[in-house]
Amino acid sequence: MSMEDYDFLFKIVLIGNAGVGKTCLVRRFTQGLFPPGQGATIGVDFMIKTVEINGEKVKLQIWDTAGQERFRSITQSYYRSANALILTYDITCEESFRCLPEWLREIEQYASNKVITVLVGNKIDLAERREVSQQRAEEFSEAQDMYYLETSAKESDNVEKLFLDLACRLISEARQNTLVNNVSSPLPGEGKSISYLTCCNFN
Amino acid sequence: MADSLPSEFDVIVIGTGLPESIFAAACSRSGQRVLHVDSRSYYGGNWASFSFSGLLSWIKEYQENNDIVIESSIWKEQILENEEAIVLSRKNRTIQNVEVFCYASQNLHEDIEETGALQKNHASVTSANSTEAADPNCLSTEEVSLSPLNSEVTAYQTPNSDTEVAPEVNDAEVTGKKESHSDDKTSEEETSKNKSTAEDSTEQLKKNRIAYSQIIKEGRRFNIDLVSKLLYSRGLLIDLLIKSNVSRYAEFKNITRILSFREGRVEQVPCSRADVFNNRHLTVIEKRMLMKFLTFCMEYEEHPDEYKGEYKAYETITFSEFLKTQKLTPNLQYFVLHSIAMTSETTSSTIDGLKATKNFLHCLGRYGNTPFLFPLYGQGELPQCFCRMCAVFGGIYCLRHSIQCLVVDKESGKCKAVIDQFGQRINSKHFLVEDSYFSENTCSLVQYRQISRAVLITDRSVLKTNSEQQISILTVPGEEPETFAVRVIELCSSTMTCMKGTYLVHLTCTSFKTAREDLEPVVQKLFIPYTEMEIENEEVEKPRILWALYFNMRDSSKVSRNCYNDLPPNVYVCSGPDCGLGNDNAVKQAETLFQQICPNEDFCPPPPNPEDIVLDEESSQSEASESSAIPPNSETPKENTNIGNSEESCE
Repeated sequence: MSMEDYDFLFKIVLIGNAGVGKTCLVRRFTQGLFPPGQGATIGVDFMIKTVEINGEKVKLQIWDTAGQERFRSITQSYYRSANALILTYDITCEESFRCLPEWLREIEQYASNKVITVLVGNKIDLAERREVSQQRAEEFSEAQDMYYLETSAKESDNVEKLFLDLACRLISEARQNTLVNNVSSPLPGEGKSISYLTCCNFN
Repeated sequence: MADSLPSEFDVIVIGTGLPESIFAAACSRSGQRVLHVDSRSYYGGNWASFSFSGLLSWIKEYQENNDIVIESSIWKEQILENEEAIVLSRKNRTIQNVEVFCYASQNLHEDIEETGALQKNHASVTSANSTEAADPNCLSTEEVSLSPLNSEVTAYQTPNSDTEVAPEVNDAEVTGKKESHSDDKTSEEETSKNKSTAEDSTEQLKKNRIAYSQIIKEGRRFNIDLVSKLLYSRGLLIDLLIKSNVSRYAEFKNITRILSFREGRVEQVPCSRADVFNNRHLTVIEKRMLMKFLTFCMEYEEHPDEYKGEYKAYETITFSEFLKTQKLTPNLQYFVLHSIAMTSETTSSTIDGLKATKNFLHCLGRYGNTPFLFPLYGQGELPQCFCRMCAVFGGIYCLRHSIQCLVVDKESGKCKAVIDQFGQRINSKHFLVEDSYFSENTCSLVQYRQISRAVLITDRSVLKTNSEQQISILTVPGEEPETFAVRVIELCSSTMTCMKGTYLVHLTCTSFKTAREDLEPVVQKLFIPYTEMEIENEEVEKPRILWALYFNMRDSSKVSRNCYNDLPPNVYVCSGPDCGLGNDNAVKQAETLFQQICPNEDFCPPPPNPEDIVLDEESSQSEASESSAIPPNSETPKENTNIGNSEESCE
């Protein structure tokens, strides 16, 4: 097994109602693009971006819902082994905010209990159409013990910050875990391993 | 989220079991527009796995299933003059004889018991198979209603069973064994009784006992499968997972032990070379015999002359008779027959036995010491993994979405559309329907077999060793000539299928009678019910059952397509889970059907590597190889198999 050129690998999973801008956030961050809403994500399982934080290379593997949220049919396995969840709503869409408790139920049921959840209110470039006040969202995220951030994938506001802050938190979390658990205490389901089974070269 | 569905597809798949999901993934991967629906709120159909509360809801569902028949006829207006409708079933008839027993101390809070008592009264007032008895609130509020079992405790003495109806009656009986006798008592007596049990149980908690409330409390963290299967490490499913890259969505563990049950004792079966030589129960001579025989099994096909010359006479005899002619002690014969070939004594031919033995040995050592893998979080993850792949390639997913009927064009005889629960007509070219969705009319000529299943939560392993984290498979041969061998799979908590300190045990066999009648004798041999007392002789005791579930599942495998009435040529059928240990049947079905629709297309080729799509500089320089994408400094669960990495380590 050769050493890859990174110090950390984290799996980040996006959830939230359809149309709140999840894919746009990912593409803005990984590719610097703001896609004008086409189905270009076909065949893309996850996006990858390697960032450097305090001299350490952090590889972020960012998973999108593949459209399964459209009819509330996300597979449980999507949540497994995620290190962080980005729960997204659209600040111009009350409905997408009201669905958050439902999403939290799914998280609680299927995600690891160590997962870090960030609440993101997207589309602040459409401030004139805002339906969900910042204060409400802040109160909600505090009550749920989540980090909270407002972004605009279109204007690239806070998008970098969202992922980089998350990466920092994940690093410090990972450090703590290694300290607390010492080595070789396997934590299945804690999202530490992402199994790639491209094993055909063996054998 | 009141999004509406597109009305034009190439393929509509009804049911999210394993074959349907593989098929959907393959079609989507080849560029077909796929709609994949399931009328249930969860993935997998009879292949699903559930949290404990989810399982309790599932049990409840089968109680209610008998009564709710919503006759909806919106579709009728939609059928044109030159069309016919094939109505799909509104209820699932594949699960029968559901019985639940709780042996763990229930340690009830009074308020929970109140609900239980209420429910009981209610049930006795209304008819026996009343659906109202089940509190509808219980389904929605998962955490609070964690007492559905308590609130459902019904006795056998319902008007229905008084008349000694045959056990086949499609009645879900949920029985709290400890409570059932008290059903006739007044509620006052009940409360006083519960007070005393509550007192008892505080005592027990001090003694570190496992209470039902604990299982309930932690129930969200583990997944209980409806089917009990393993993956042969060189089986079709593993090959497909690797080829398609779907394996990246799941993690696996090795089965650690093959066990046998003989003369009342559970023993570990040596299967690898190292095992054989390290085994303390075998004599040196036996070791040599076994190695010689196993080597022969590996190579028997390569020496056809020798094989045919020497063994021609055995072509007509069973494998067990054949083994008697080999230089093997009865001990070894038993190991080979039941634990390695895992064939049932009466039916399998010598050739089948040799093939099974060879397959077993062939799979050994690819990922570990035994030929099997088990997916973390249960087998129920696998259909979902293929669904994810289908969705990634544009497949549209709709759970809780039922299809009322298929619309057939009279002239061409082909199916052209479906009509869903909202009356929406959705057109498509091809339709795959899982067996259980067909109505009784369509299946009137089909002869189904049944699978008997038991799911137990126990407090210790059937064979204690230093390590608590063992995954074991054990085959217990049928006692009577007409009964079938029972397959026992014991899972430890690190498989994420049960809580720490407990084991999840699956029993499976081809049905002869009801699940409980078929499996209880084996359960009694291996386990004892959890009791309040006798802690002293813990050393010698068998594992104790905290909770048990029995049910029969319809086995629709091996049903010929011609048995279904009036199916249009572009409506395909796939089966629910079969009784076998592996998953080859599901893969074969999916691949065969896929090739009918997309001849000459590759079946689930690997998707483009996500790392190749990345545009930023840093990672585009990095290698595309993903085989070791594990953070170097995170303590990877070592015993979880990343299929591929572990291959070298064996043999």
